[in-house]
Amino acid sequence: MTNQPTPTSDSIKIERNFVRFTLGQRWEHVVLLLSFLVLLLTGLPQKYFTQWGYRILTTPESVLLVRQIHHIAAIVLILEVLYHLVLGILLLVRRKLSAEIFPTWQDVRDAWQMVKYLLFLTRKKPAYGKYNFEQKFTYWFLFIAIGIMVVTGLILWFPIVWTRFFPGGTVPAAHLTHSNEAIVATIFVIIWHFYHVHLERLNLSIFTGKLNERDMQKYHALEYQRLTGEKVNDNEQSRGEGGKQ
Amino acid sequence: MISRRRVLIFWLVALALAAMLWKSAAIGQAQSSTPVRASPAVIGELSLQATAAPATSTSPSATPLPVNMSIGNDTCLKCHSQPGLSMKTQDGQQFGLYIPADHYNASIHGSKGIACVQCHTTVGNYPHPPFQAADARDATLKLNQVCQRCHSYQFEKAMDSVHAQALKDGNRQAAVCTDCHTAHEVKQITYPGTRQLLPEARVWSAQICARCHNSIYETYAHSVHGSALLGEGNPDVPTCIDCHGVHNIANPETANFRASSPLTCAKCHADPQLMDKYKISTQVFDTYVSDFHGATVTLFEKQSPDAQTNKATCYDCHGSHDISRTDDPHTGLKIQANILSRCQQCHPDANTNFPTAWLSHYIPTWQTSPLIMSVQWFYRLLIPTVLGGMAILVALDASVLIRRRLKKRRHSEPGLQPEAEPADAPGSAPEETAEAVEPAAPAEPATLEEPAAPLASEPLPPPEAALPAGDQPAEDETSPGADQPAPEDTLPGADGQDETNSPFDQ
Repeated sequence: MTNQPTPTSDSIKIERNFVRFTLGQRWEHVVLLLSFLVLLLTGLPQKYFTQWGYRILTTPESVLLVRQIHHIAAIVLILEVLYHLVLGILLLVRRKLSAEIFPTWQDVRDAWQMVKYLLFLTRKKPAYGKYNFEQKFTYWFLFIAIGIMVVTGLILWFPIVWTRFFPGGTVPAAHLTHSNEAIVATIFVIIWHFYHVHLERLNLSIFTGKLNERDMQKYHALEYQRLTGEKVNDNEQSRGEGGKQ
Repeated sequence: MISRRRVLIFWLVALALAAMLWKSAAIGQAQSSTPVRASPAVIGELSLQATAAPATSTSPSATPLPVNMSIGNDTCLKCHSQPGLSMKTQDGQQFGLYIPADHYNASIHGSKGIACVQCHTTVGNYPHPPFQAADARDATLKLNQVCQRCHSYQFEKAMDSVHAQALKDGNRQAAVCTDCHTAHEVKQITYPGTRQLLPEARVWSAQICARCHNSIYETYAHSVHGSALLGEGNPDVPTCIDCHGVHNIANPETANFRASSPLTCAKCHADPQLMDKYKISTQVFDTYVSDFHGATVTLFEKQSPDAQTNKATCYDCHGSHDISRTDDPHTGLKIQANILSRCQQCHPDANTNFPTAWLSHYIPTWQTSPLIMSVQWFYRLLIPTVLGGMAILVALDASVLIRRRLKKRRHSEPGLQPEAEPADAPGSAPEETAEAVEPAAPAEPATLEEPAAPLASEPLPPPEAALPAGDQPAEDETSPGADQPAPEDTLPGADGQDETNSPFDQ
């Protein structure tokens, strides 16, 4: 993966791709996406039943159906979460998965530099590794959100089992949390995730599994450097604070 | 233009006014003409008809009065005021025909001068044709039909009732008009003007229903509502008909009755004027609806009221006829064991923790449920701060992105300037070459080669490579100061591109 064999001919354009996600990770994202969507579509009418939800939940059968679909999607999501956790921990322990997804102080510094850049206090965008702070933030925000949704959802699903061990007041608290966290996660996905993967640039690497060289250089300069040994000669990024490492 | 529009508006308004005037005039005419047309019919008749007329006119379908209107009550009472007057029905039972005149005269009909023959329409002058009835109940059912001559609205409503249905199904004992109102001693039960129930009529209502539904009456009499009504004569509490309806009394065992029962309770319990008197919270309905049971029941009530629901309604916990105060020392729901036993009716495995999952109609406060309040405040703060902050960040990012792209387009439009490439390169290859010059294929490999070449040979990279290590903080500080004296609007392009372009342009 060095560019020694790059032909000097002007007519040939070589595009190198870098693997970013394994097939398993890509499927995980699809399962997550679909279960999230189904849970949202079946959950929101239940939350807003007095405003507009009653137009969808027209009969007891439809209420039952919507709740059943919600429960099935929840099981799918829970299985996916368990798979993700078990596999992630196993691979991390066996040193087969890099721990780059975990947040570091560098992410805080990157975020701060990005804020400064956006406020025109500096001209340099931070250079990022495999995951930039925005992607890590997305992962961990949704990680926690899904954790909250799963736990509170199970409380609401099995309140009698739950109250065998915990005080009853936790059930309405779980209800409120489930209801609010759903909105938070939805807003988060729309304004943060959708912006970064659809509007800022169309980033389909979670579906295709790979990212092309130009995007690697531009958005993951440090990772590019680590993989290729080439310095990204881009004044905007390579001189960033992240240039240390 | 303006004047023409004004003229148009003027004519439209004038037309509308004219139409309204014409319409109201037509109504006035109709109103004034009716009494004139009606009066000749009234004049010359017996005085009792004059009093009867308003009664008939109130009913929507006034049937014509009987022809034998001239027969006064005195004629009837000549015989029927004799105690012991009776006849034999076809089953051989004695059927009393004695009508105490003072009882009838004290009734609402008697006091308004309604004549016997207005209801007993089949009799003529004495001797009248004999009255035929299979038995006493048959006589009642036959004569009961006559009520609709004046009270057709109430009569038709009663035909929709559970009683009428039972009668149709063959239960001859099912209540008809006279079973509740009596035949000859009909009482005034509402205020004449407002048609509101008289306070004493509320007590009568319970007592009349008790004639058939006595065990329910006994239960009701001991409830918080019944004891207030029957013991104190309190007119604020519901009597039977307030919940079950009058005349069109619905079957209380239907899904519809069940699903709409919270609304029945809410009629009083969501009314602050009424509840403030007794220091009862009016939040009971809203808090119920916002909880699991209420949410589902409300959905059903809205969309398919005839669908059966097993979700708890008000009376599943509070009881229906045996409703007691929640702080009642024996039956009150504030006693843990009482509410738990209610929960266990549907959730048999519930333990003592379970009932507190229900907030007892309280709006959560820091005192009653700190956990819920902290969750509420957590999200109240999280949503505007974290999500709001993210939104601001995204908006900033988007604005920078858009401005940069616009600028890039402006720069690339005048000409793709292939000779700009070499000039750019020494300044440190900008990202622009990778993006904006994309259509010009020849540039691509050149930029790819660039990073490797200077690194190897030229003396230019070393200072650049050294920058991140040593010069970093200094450069960071100087760059906003030194490179950005220009106002902010030129800055978005400053991310490397401005740096390279501006010296080039100069």
